[in-house]
Amino acid sequence: MTSKKLTPEEIVDSFKKEFKTKITDARIEKFTQGSKKTEMTHIWMKTDPSIIKDITKHLMTLQKYPHFAVSSGYDTEKTIDIVYHFSIYYGKRGEEISLNFTVSLPKTKPEIDTISDLIPGALIAEQEKQEMLGIKVKNIPQDRRSFISDDFPKDVYPWRKDETGPKKMVRNLHEAKK
Amino acid sequence: MRFTMLPQVFSQLFKKPWTNKFPAKYIPSNTTEFLKEVKKGNAEINPPIETPPGFRGKIKYDKDKCIGCKLCIKVCPSGAIEFKPEEKKIKIYLARCTFCSQCNDICPVKCLSMSDEFLLADGNKYSKALIVE
Amino acid sequence: MSAKATTKTTYQIPIGPIHPALKEPVKFEFEIDGERIVDVDVTLGHVHRAIEWTGMHRNPIQILYLAERICGICSYCHPMAFSLAVERIAGIEVPERANYLRVIHAELERICSHVLWAGVAAHEIGFDSVLFLTWQIREEALDLTEYLTGNRVTKAITMIGGVRRDITSDMLPRIKKSLDYLKDNFAKLKKVYLEDKTFKMRSQGCGILTKENALKLCACGPTTRASGVKKDVRLDQPYFAFDDLDFDYVTPDVLTGEVNGDVYDRIIVRLLEVRQSIDLIEQCIDKMPEGEIVSEPKLAKLLATLKKAKGEGIGRMEAPRGEVFHYVKLNENEYPYSWKVRAPTYSNILPWIPMLKGEQIADIPIVAASTDPCMSCTNRVAIIKEGNKYELNKEQLHRLSVEKTRRLMR
Repeated sequence: MTSKKLTPEEIVDSFKKEFKTKITDARIEKFTQGSKKTEMTHIWMKTDPSIIKDITKHLMTLQKYPHFAVSSGYDTEKTIDIVYHFSIYYGKRGEEISLNFTVSLPKTKPEIDTISDLIPGALIAEQEKQEMLGIKVKNIPQDRRSFISDDFPKDVYPWRKDETGPKKMVRNLHEAKK
Repeated sequence: MRFTMLPQVFSQLFKKPWTNKFPAKYIPSNTTEFLKEVKKGNAEINPPIETPPGFRGKIKYDKDKCIGCKLCIKVCPSGAIEFKPEEKKIKIYLARCTFCSQCNDICPVKCLSMSDEFLLADGNKYSKALIVE
Repeated sequence: MSAKATTKTTYQIPIGPIHPALKEPVKFEFEIDGERIVDVDVTLGHVHRAIEWTGMHRNPIQILYLAERICGICSYCHPMAFSLAVERIAGIEVPERANYLRVIHAELERICSHVLWAGVAAHEIGFDSVLFLTWQIREEALDLTEYLTGNRVTKAITMIGGVRRDITSDMLPRIKKSLDYLKDNFAKLKKVYLEDKTFKMRSQGCGILTKENALKLCACGPTTRASGVKKDVRLDQPYFAFDDLDFDYVTPDVLTGEVNGDVYDRIIVRLLEVRQSIDLIEQCIDKMPEGEIVSEPKLAKLLATLKKAKGEGIGRMEAPRGEVFHYVKLNENEYPYSWKVRAPTYSNILPWIPMLKGEQIADIPIVAASTDPCMSCTNRVAIIKEGNKYELNKEQLHRLSVEKTRRLMR
């Protein structure tokens, strides 16, 4: 465990000091729960895809084993956005902080580096993004499909909203006969 | 202690079995024959255990109160409700219903409610017993 | 499937996709040397139902019922986590009485799930009388759920902004009777599981997950608490009314004083959590204030509010198996723009690899079942030995496990 726990504002400042202009659009959201109105914090930051590995390394200086929940993604018009969800400072009551990093990959070259050599638990999440959104994760330890079967066509990406989406493969069985 | 379960198992020899024997004490070898015998009055079905109040069973529809606002269709998770435009009333297909009772909550005139009937098995998805209108 | 050349001393067993002691189909490939496992490979994805894609074509109230059917046993946690995420985006404030009611239903589900798991673990060892004893106890908890919500499994009690049904004061005597029954039988269960020689022989020293592996692989839930890591969403980031209640992390050293990370420790953690849940429900019933149960009773108005909401939010909850995580992005449309679900088992699958290396084949069911994966049973194991293929089905794998118990008892 680290020596000192930082407040959310100090965490954002330490990231901004380390990566300067590559961190944009940082916001801190606080929610209250219960009758004592204790606060919990969620931090959201937008960064550049090329430094995702350095961000993970910087996070590991704040806590040796950050908890990686999952990475989610969605398809905007020209980019594919991936959101990495971490959380640190678990272990004591009411002190955990959630951190979310959004990266934007252009559709012409959707590539990003892997973080599963630093956090082995991220393997399945990265395989899922590859098959569902059509991005390429460089240096991934096991390059294969995790959720879709092998006989599904290779250039159909289920979560995309453009022409590579699965619209032609959908059949609404309950409207077939009433 | 090596055999902690032994006293428990031994005492079970003297107790009545805990399960309720629904529909009959032993499984009938042919279910449709058994149901015919029940109709004739030769055999009896043990009743199932009482359902608590507030149980979500088959849906009941009060046709006269319905105003045709289509809010229940908007909120049904499985698309089990169909609108009949010429009468401005609805038709519910129980084969797709998930018994969530969300349509009950949103109806502004409260014409839908849940009964406690749950023995709804049928051979045909669109039979008369499984359509409410 | 990888085409590994088999050497003279090791051979490969594929187990799966449909499988004893699992609730979703998963494919393993074991490399076996004699009876010991040398290496493990895991493949997923056999029950992929495209739920997230379906959710992007439904409005938020319909998604609540879709989320409920992701899993049968954690069927309360998925709509609740989704509802937490949407409430944080739209700025909906949940009334206090609703928070306490939500805690009561969550803890009741935890009791049902852990007692079911206890029965399954006993069955994997070969101790069938304990299976029927625990499932008889579970019937009382399920009857209580039916009384409170209308159905035994798919509770349908979540609503964005609160709950759908209230607990009135005339329901309290029935709740108290059920809780007393559960407390009396808990003592019986504890004696059977923790002091019986059969359980101790089969589970101590078996399927060890070290603290460092649990931290690196980001495991969650009782699997990681049994290895000594204090991770519990109810205490780390309190939601609902958990911040007002009095409880603490459950790790095995509360009972025995030391942490080994084996199957016996996981049994201890789950049984102690059942006791903790009964205690939490009683605290809630005492402290519950009066008030509303949902923030917006007119549902058409709620749908209109959500149609105008914009932003992204996350919702995390402690399911019986670990941390459930939902991410929602709304974009001023009737349907959400993006929805991501992460069930706790997906984090708990990678720890199987260090846990199973070095174990025997007959231990596969109990070690795989000890992480309480969210899946359902069956099927075949094909063994390929020197070109002669023969198959073991579920009964034979189960029989291997039972025979080992008999051997150890002699």
